[in-house]
Amino acid sequence: MILTNPLFWFALLGLGVVVLVVGKKMGLLNNTMFAVGVSVVIAVAYFHIVDHYLMDMQGLDYWYLFRK
Amino acid sequence: MGSVTRKKTLSVIALSAMIGLLLLPIVVAIPALASGGGEPAAGAPPAEAAQKEGTAKVEKARDVYYKTEGIVSGAPAPKTADNAQFYPRYNFESRVLLWFANQQHLYYGSFVLAVPIFCMVIEFIGVVTKDKAMAKKYDQLAYDFIKISLTAYSLTAILGGILIFTFLTLYPAFFGYLSSIFRPVMHIYALMFVAESGTLYIYYYAWDKMKEGLMKWLHLSMSVVLNVIGTLLMFLANSWIGFMMSPAGVDEQGRYLGNIWHVIHTALWNPLNVHRILGNMAFGGGVVAAYAAYRFLSAKNDEERAHYDWMGYIAMALGVAFLIPLPFAGYWLMREVYAYRQQMGITLMGGLLAWLFIIQATMIGILFLSSNYYLWQALGRMRGAERFQKWIKYFVFILVCGFLIFITPHTIVMTPAELKAMGGQQHPVLGNYGVMSAKNGGINVIITTTVLSFIWYMRGNRVPAVSWSKFGNIFMGVFFFFAYVNIIWLAIYGYYIPANVRVGLSVPQVATTLSCLFFMTALNVVMMKGAKQLGPIEWGKISVRSQYALIMLATAFTWMMGLMGYIRSSVRLFWHVNEIMRDNSPWAYTHTVGFGANMISFNVLFFWISIMFVFWLGTLGAKKAPVEAKVPVPGRAPEPAVGH
Repeated sequence: MILTNPLFWFALLGLGVVVLVVGKKMGLLNNTMFAVGVSVVIAVAYFHIVDHYLMDMQGLDYWYLFRK
Repeated sequence: MGSVTRKKTLSVIALSAMIGLLLLPIVVAIPALASGGGEPAAGAPPAEAAQKEGTAKVEKARDVYYKTEGIVSGAPAPKTADNAQFYPRYNFESRVLLWFANQQHLYYGSFVLAVPIFCMVIEFIGVVTKDKAMAKKYDQLAYDFIKISLTAYSLTAILGGILIFTFLTLYPAFFGYLSSIFRPVMHIYALMFVAESGTLYIYYYAWDKMKEGLMKWLHLSMSVVLNVIGTLLMFLANSWIGFMMSPAGVDEQGRYLGNIWHVIHTALWNPLNVHRILGNMAFGGGVVAAYAAYRFLSAKNDEERAHYDWMGYIAMALGVAFLIPLPFAGYWLMREVYAYRQQMGITLMGGLLAWLFIIQATMIGILFLSSNYYLWQALGRMRGAERFQKWIKYFVFILVCGFLIFITPHTIVMTPAELKAMGGQQHPVLGNYGVMSAKNGGINVIITTTVLSFIWYMRGNRVPAVSWSKFGNIFMGVFFFFAYVNIIWLAIYGYYIPANVRVGLSVPQVATTLSCLFFMTALNVVMMKGAKQLGPIEWGKISVRSQYALIMLATAFTWMMGLMGYIRSSVRLFWHVNEIMRDNSPWAYTHTVGFGANMISFNVLFFWISIMFVFWLGTLGAKKAPVEAKVPVPGRAPEPAVGH
């Protein structure tokens, strides 16, 4: 499942940052819809990465339930 | 000019020589430490070893913790019996007397270790602040801090003496064994205490003489020396309690194996060090905040009220800054306890002492609720902060939900009728919250909300003026929202996965909270650069209730420290040194929760009565402040700080 792959969340985080940079150049930063969208993508991806890697560092599988 | 330079050079040399002389005994003692103490640790060498000296046979044994082999260099731990030889006594419970002496020494010790750290930070802020008026105010604040700790320092030393006499009088066999094991570092501890005293007195009395230029930096660096010594002292003291809980460096009979580092560096030493540093800082902040609240409440004019309002805020902010990571350090300590001896962990959190942890959770909740309450009250001294008031009720709701989950017990003591009425040991609904998965969620929600309260307080009278402020605000809101979602999600997720996987979920939960703390505070600081001021901070114009919240905060800290010390000590059950030296006194049992709570309350009461005396002494010397002239502050008079 792609969702259980940390690379997916890294890609999403990267995408969020790229869109943020592009949006800044296009003067979209203070557009509410744009700001909410980018913020949601970055925050969701970030917290998934945190969850995955901090469990992984303890030798545990964050996606245990999903894999089962 | 040349004369001034010469004077400065001479002063630097004199100061360096003084510090060098103070530290010399420690340096001299280091070779003894490196060689494992030189002399055998536990009194005379074993009789067998003495007899076989001629044949030079060396007895080796295995370290109980490190599992390494070492040469037996001390006598075994005494096997005590319930008699006057091992446990001389008055017509009173010896353990209670020791408990009292130990706790009072610990309170004052924590206070005098924490306050110089605050002092160092505030003095540093004063030195680097470009605004001369503000720099002097910070300097005065740092001086006020150290003045309080000076009297407390004498009391700490007196209480330390009382503690040693109590040990020697009531527990001579145990104290003899412990001091024989730690003999290589015992004198270092004493000498460091001398070094700390010397540095503290020079630091305090040289304040006036060393207030300009290079001398000020030297004065500041002296506070670094002072704090390094203080911290090392605490680490050494922690090694004793670490050894009592999780002994190392000795064999199964308690015989010293010649490696003092193993004795010091036990399984629980590092978590205890971190936990105690943070705890001391939070406690010190709380006590100084209470002092400021006391001075605020007894202030005779607006200017005094403004100063002590500001002092209370700074002390509270410093205290809470260390309170926030404290539960995580506590969690690490508990994990290490479980890793060391699972049974010990179960006794603590799931067995005999579990109810004390419910009380602890209640105290932690009170600490965070008091901090938040103070911050909301403090918004009242800022014009423009009214816009946040309407949100406070939602904060209260979130905090109370987190708090109630955090304090829910797993099981409760019930009569058979109550048990039958409820349908079992656990409540069908509330019983679900009495597990760590939910509790971790509860406390992280509380801490995250406290971080949010702080950020709002920092924004109280200011509006961000950066061009991307709208994006910044939205990003911050979304980040906090998903942080809450992640914390709650992980708490719920824990119910659906096995215990060995669930236990790891606390780490990402903590990381989520810390992400909010570090990233969002940093983002807020960036956004607040050049922010538009909506009105001044009117220091001193804060409700009286807020000051009682500070006193509540300090009292809760004190009570919780007493409680946690009792829990940590009680977990050894009937051992002086866990699994090495058995406690055969008549008091080798665990007290009831009620007795423990009364004893802790007595200790707290005694501490506060005595510290009130210290505060009062501080007011007597108020006229001897080092800043000769009153410093005018631009704008309103009662305004000690323009920022937060």
